[in-house]
Amino acid sequence: MSGEPAHGYALGDRVRIVDLGKPGHVRTPLYVRDKVGVIDHCCGSFENPENRAYGRVGRERIPLYRVRLKQRELWPDYEGAEDDSLVLEIYHHWLRPA
Amino acid sequence: MAERLITDVGGLPADEVPRQEVPQLFWEKHMIAMFNVLWSKGVFNLDEFRRAVEQMTPKEYKESSFYGRRLDGMTNLLVEKGLVDRDELAARTEQIVREGTRDHVR
Repeated sequence: MSGEPAHGYALGDRVRIVDLGKPGHVRTPLYVRDKVGVIDHCCGSFENPENRAYGRVGRERIPLYRVRLKQRELWPDYEGAEDDSLVLEIYHHWLRPA
Repeated sequence: MAERLITDVGGLPADEVPRQEVPQLFWEKHMIAMFNVLWSKGVFNLDEFRRAVEQMTPKEYKESSFYGRRLDGMTNLLVEKGLVDRDELAARTEQIVREGTRDHVR
């Protein structure tokens, strides 16, 4: 896919979570799409749940990352501390360099 | 923008969280045990299960419960995979309900 780095992301890389508009089972919630965060942890590689959800098992493994987003980036009316954050796990193909 | 999955509720307005204790029913424990056997044996995987729950109608989803969704999702997968016949399941369910269980008496 265009714009996706071939060798994955490293800790601290700034990434944008994109909206692939993909129907069916996906694990990227709507409220984080088009938001920018930082790679917090590289979890390893796993089969894509978007395939496994339809019984397509044993396919290639893709990298999964923990992405840290500021709560203020997510919720415009957030009233907590400036550096409050949310960490969630996002598969490689939903990320672009930011 | 993709369609919102039934389970994707982050950021939506929500009603108050109910705080009352709900008693655990025997069928719920029984069903979770069956669920754990089926996925650990590879009959279905957890991503398939999530997908099956997401295929419920919004009305079914809202009116169901944590255990109800799990039961229906699991059952739909077993029917989809041809391991359980829906008519046979309905007949057996009717028989169980007729005879009474630990959770209800006829």
